[in-house]
Amino acid sequence: MELSEHIKTANVEDVTLRRPFHPALRGTLCVTSHHLLFSDGKDEASWQLLILLKNIDAIEKSVEILFGYPRAVGSSGTITIKCKDLLVLQLEIPGMEECLNIASSIEALSSLESVTEMYPFFYRPSHLTLSSPWGLSSMEQYYKQTERLWDRWRVSTVNSDYSVCLSYPSAVIVPREVDDDKLIRSARFRQGGRFPVLSYCHHRNGMVIMRSSQPLTGANKKSCKEDELLLQAVIDGSKLGYIIDLRSAQQAQQARMTGGGFESKSCYSDWKRIHRHHERGKVVQESLIKLVEACSDPSHSVDRWLSKLENSKWLSHVHSALSTAGLVVECVERDGHSVLVHGSEGTDNTLLMSSLAQLILDPASRTVTGFLCLLEREWIQAGHPFQQRCAHSAYSHARLKQECPSFLLLLDCVWQVWRQFPLALEFSEALLLRLAQEVYASDYGTFLCNSEQERCAAGVKENTHCLFQSLLRPNIEEQYLNPLYEPTDLVIWPSVHPQSLQLWTGLFLRWTEYAQNMEEAREEVWSIVKEHREQAGPDRTNNMLSTHCDTLTPFENLMDELTIL
Amino acid sequence: MEKQQHSSGSESPVLPPVPRKPRSLGGVIPAPRQDSVDLPDSPTGSHVEWCKQLIAATISSQISGGSVPPEAITREYKVGKKIDFKVSRRTNLRAFKDVRRQAPMDEVPLVPGETVKTTVKDVMYICPFTGAVTGTLTVTDYKLYFVSLERDAPYILDVNLGAISRLETISVQSLGENTSGMEIVCKDMRSQRFAYKKEEQSNLEILEVLTKYAFPLSNELSLFAFQYKEQFPEDGWKVYDPVSEYKRMGLPNESWTISKINSNYEVCDTYPALLVTPTSIKEDEIKRVASFRVKHRIPVLSWIHPETQATIVRCSQPMVGPTDRRCKEDEHYLQTIIDANAQSHKLTIFDARQSIVAENHKAKDGGFENENFYSNMDLNFLDIPNIHVMRESLRKLKEVVYPTIDEPHWHSAIDATHWLQYIRLLLAGAVKIADKVESSKSSVVVHCSDGWDRTAQLTSLSMLMLDSYYRTLRGFQVLLEKEWISFGHKFAARVGHGDENHANSERSPLFVQFIDCVWQMMRQFPTAFEFNELFLITILDHLYSCLFGTFLYNSEQERVENEVNSKTVSLWSYVNSQPEDFTNPFYVDYENHVLYPVASLRHLELWVGYYVRWNPRMRPQMPVHQNLKELLYLRAELQRKVEELQKEASSSHSISSSSEHAYSPSNGGTPLHTSV
Repeated sequence: MELSEHIKTANVEDVTLRRPFHPALRGTLCVTSHHLLFSDGKDEASWQLLILLKNIDAIEKSVEILFGYPRAVGSSGTITIKCKDLLVLQLEIPGMEECLNIASSIEALSSLESVTEMYPFFYRPSHLTLSSPWGLSSMEQYYKQTERLWDRWRVSTVNSDYSVCLSYPSAVIVPREVDDDKLIRSARFRQGGRFPVLSYCHHRNGMVIMRSSQPLTGANKKSCKEDELLLQAVIDGSKLGYIIDLRSAQQAQQARMTGGGFESKSCYSDWKRIHRHHERGKVVQESLIKLVEACSDPSHSVDRWLSKLENSKWLSHVHSALSTAGLVVECVERDGHSVLVHGSEGTDNTLLMSSLAQLILDPASRTVTGFLCLLEREWIQAGHPFQQRCAHSAYSHARLKQECPSFLLLLDCVWQVWRQFPLALEFSEALLLRLAQEVYASDYGTFLCNSEQERCAAGVKENTHCLFQSLLRPNIEEQYLNPLYEPTDLVIWPSVHPQSLQLWTGLFLRWTEYAQNMEEAREEVWSIVKEHREQAGPDRTNNMLSTHCDTLTPFENLMDELTIL
Repeated sequence: MEKQQHSSGSESPVLPPVPRKPRSLGGVIPAPRQDSVDLPDSPTGSHVEWCKQLIAATISSQISGGSVPPEAITREYKVGKKIDFKVSRRTNLRAFKDVRRQAPMDEVPLVPGETVKTTVKDVMYICPFTGAVTGTLTVTDYKLYFVSLERDAPYILDVNLGAISRLETISVQSLGENTSGMEIVCKDMRSQRFAYKKEEQSNLEILEVLTKYAFPLSNELSLFAFQYKEQFPEDGWKVYDPVSEYKRMGLPNESWTISKINSNYEVCDTYPALLVTPTSIKEDEIKRVASFRVKHRIPVLSWIHPETQATIVRCSQPMVGPTDRRCKEDEHYLQTIIDANAQSHKLTIFDARQSIVAENHKAKDGGFENENFYSNMDLNFLDIPNIHVMRESLRKLKEVVYPTIDEPHWHSAIDATHWLQYIRLLLAGAVKIADKVESSKSSVVVHCSDGWDRTAQLTSLSMLMLDSYYRTLRGFQVLLEKEWISFGHKFAARVGHGDENHANSERSPLFVQFIDCVWQMMRQFPTAFEFNELFLITILDHLYSCLFGTFLYNSEQERVENEVNSKTVSLWSYVNSQPEDFTNPFYVDYENHVLYPVASLRHLELWVGYYVRWNPRMRPQMPVHQNLKELLYLRAELQRKVEELQKEASSSHSISSSSEHAYSPSNGGTPLHTSV
């Protein structure tokens, strides 16, 4: 079925658009295969709103029918559109039939299942070409850049045809002394074939963070010699390693009944296992739903707001994620031991911990490029099932399948770190917000599919543009940079006490006037910092004239802004 | 363990500002406390010093390869679930020690005018965070100073006597028969417990001495502010001059006059000597209005809009009584206020109370303006509960934040105190007032019962929203001097300076609540205030400290009688002598901008930097203002250049700012921030 066949009514005039904190607008509404377009005028200067249909999470319609006059001139319908980026819009559409047609088109087109029908495959902006490189980083590149690895580690291409592990990339980093055969055997012993691979090597002491899925010990306490050897090779000379199991001890025990399990002391004698309970899947998704519900209560005097915030448990997920990441960091940095992180499948919380730990430990991952590379390696290539997890967001009425806001949780944790260390990260909140939006609905192919294998099969790299590349090239936009960035080599230990964690208002209260205030303040800070840089610049003693210009510009900007306001 | 070192960095800090200590702003990060130890002439404890130490502690710990991550501290507190991370902690400790130097700590740093009253050895401080420590306790006429050298780092606890709310003996039988215990409950959200041996004579009197100097007024002594002898380059008493402040607003004008009717405080003993009243109202009329208003607090002008002439007028409730008494002069007086503003023929009265409470006041000879008698008037109740409710709310808040926090229930516990709900009510009320003045161009009258608590909160907050001058470091001082101090907010009664009667129902944290609101605004508009959070915390600390005369007594009359200006030092002398410590590096003068904070609970946050600051787990992470100190200086430089340029430019084309006053919320009461 052609996409266009879903569109019964493509154009409606005299539609009223209501957005939070803006006056209502009248204009024309247009539905295309991938977009909803609203325009308040016909000339060039008209204001337009373009929404990716994929961004629409839920649609509610109410039609006023005057009895006996089903096609009366006065009949109209209202569609409420709730987006995955938490924006809520209302459209008043004259004509009941038009309204219903539009609604059903949106419903059908916003939940396309086939990857190749999605917008990234059609997005062809003039400034990008498909031949430009796709992606920023890969395991091979990480290996090349990390000299510390060269001695004891190697890049294995055992998974080059994705036959050993469907969700792993084609190349992974493993201990040099473990050959590919052993890897294959180890993979058979791990859920989904996710055998232990290197995620990060600490630049200070060479200790590593490994990740995997749970071992398939099962009820009969199976063991796998090759898996044991692989882990033995990880710690090599040193006496001890830590396994951080993201389930409670009880859950890990129970997992044996369904074929999973944990690394027993008897088989992995040099590894010390620590259990940390983390909620997953549905529970986290429901937290998000509750939180967004509390946030979108329209009244200002929300009764017991803080209790509602607490009940949503969202911040407690943030708390446990940061605590466990802290634990990983403590093992690696403080104790000087290597760590293996896994939960069950090793595609959600596992990735959350390994990437957060790197952000805390590694100054290189706190730059814009470094952070995007980290996301690419640890989430996209590592096989986080984006398509399943982000199929719906907080507003959807659809029955939950495999949705889980793991990635949003990561972004929230990163935001908490950024808030506590306002100088340590090169990127700004705006980048995190952009990513939070792109992950659910995007022009780019970056977050499509569930694994490298799927992306390969769908030809994502050949037929879509890469978000990360376009964020960085030709130049990263100023708004994504932190004006106060001062690189530090130190480990940035976040405080995880509830009094130190805050609701990420920038995301969850994004469509409020508060966000506008903060945006203005951010601009001010930028202009102040720029003035400062101009002042402190090396060629300060240039001629007076340029100084005059420099100072005058921000001053004029300021005046401009005042007048605009 | 380093954990304790941290707390030594964060628990000891206390008030006495130590002005003009050698500035070590740009200096390399010293180890915690180190600089105060090295400089005997620079007593420990100023706020700035404290913050710097905390920051230093944070940063140096990071440099030394990371100290305890907060995470590790948590684990300490969890029952028995500790895992084997001790090894690493120990290695770390060593790293930490190297940075630290030991120095003699027996000397108690004193501020000029301060004298030691008693010193007791072998006192045990039972720290709620790190366990008991034994050391020497010194009591001066200004502070309690406890030093313990038994840990790797000197442990110092410095509590300002003015902050003490009550002293109690407690049972410490577990520590032995001959041991007495004492608990100090402070006004600034903390408490301390000490245990000491009964035997020695000197020990017996410790509680006695402490009581005497903590509550000087109950013991026929004077407040320490009258002994404090510090000299500052700036004179803070000159900050506020009513005549020039009114002149700044364009007063007097044809409708309003600066009246001397109260110059002897005869009309109203809780009002300042100079009042702004309508020009056309004669003295005898004012006196009759005074007799109709509770405590004679007549309607007077607080602020006038530079363009529309809409005014904010404050007063106390009218004495309507159960019989619905009228006062022709009062009605005429308010009509005159309407007439003074050509832009609007309406007057809005904001009664801060709940309507039912206002109704009840009628039985007690109070009440509110009857709309039948006051034509052209709108009466609005802002539903703000009274001082007793606020006191109770803060008491509950203290229980939540000190000493230990029930982490899983943190938010619901905060919710149950209702503290943020009251903050919201205040902000929402002030937004309504500001919006009325700005958007409806209408004059407003604000009162509660007596017109010195909620009224002061509301008028000063709305003035802060309307007038960018009050958002500067100096301007804010003027605002406090004017709306709070001169208009008779009863600081002495509300705070209970030097008074041992802690259960006095007159006490209430109304001023703290106001400062909290300012902080909330600052959070929502990070670049709109010239001052920083440290400034607000400093103000609150000296609200209690009795070091400065600024917040002493209940009214201007009392302050004049007690010669506060000549016998004590002003807090602003201290602040303005080192303004860079209190300046926000990102300040942008939003001249003529009205700020409407979002008065929604979702956008309010508990001010953890103040209420939870004694908790060692609350280490500030990386305060921005510190790292950008240099930026401040450069900015000042730049600002100067811009001003020069502006002067040059103004000769060619003038930049009009009159149209910029149109920043207004739409649809009436709800504070929306839309650009026009």
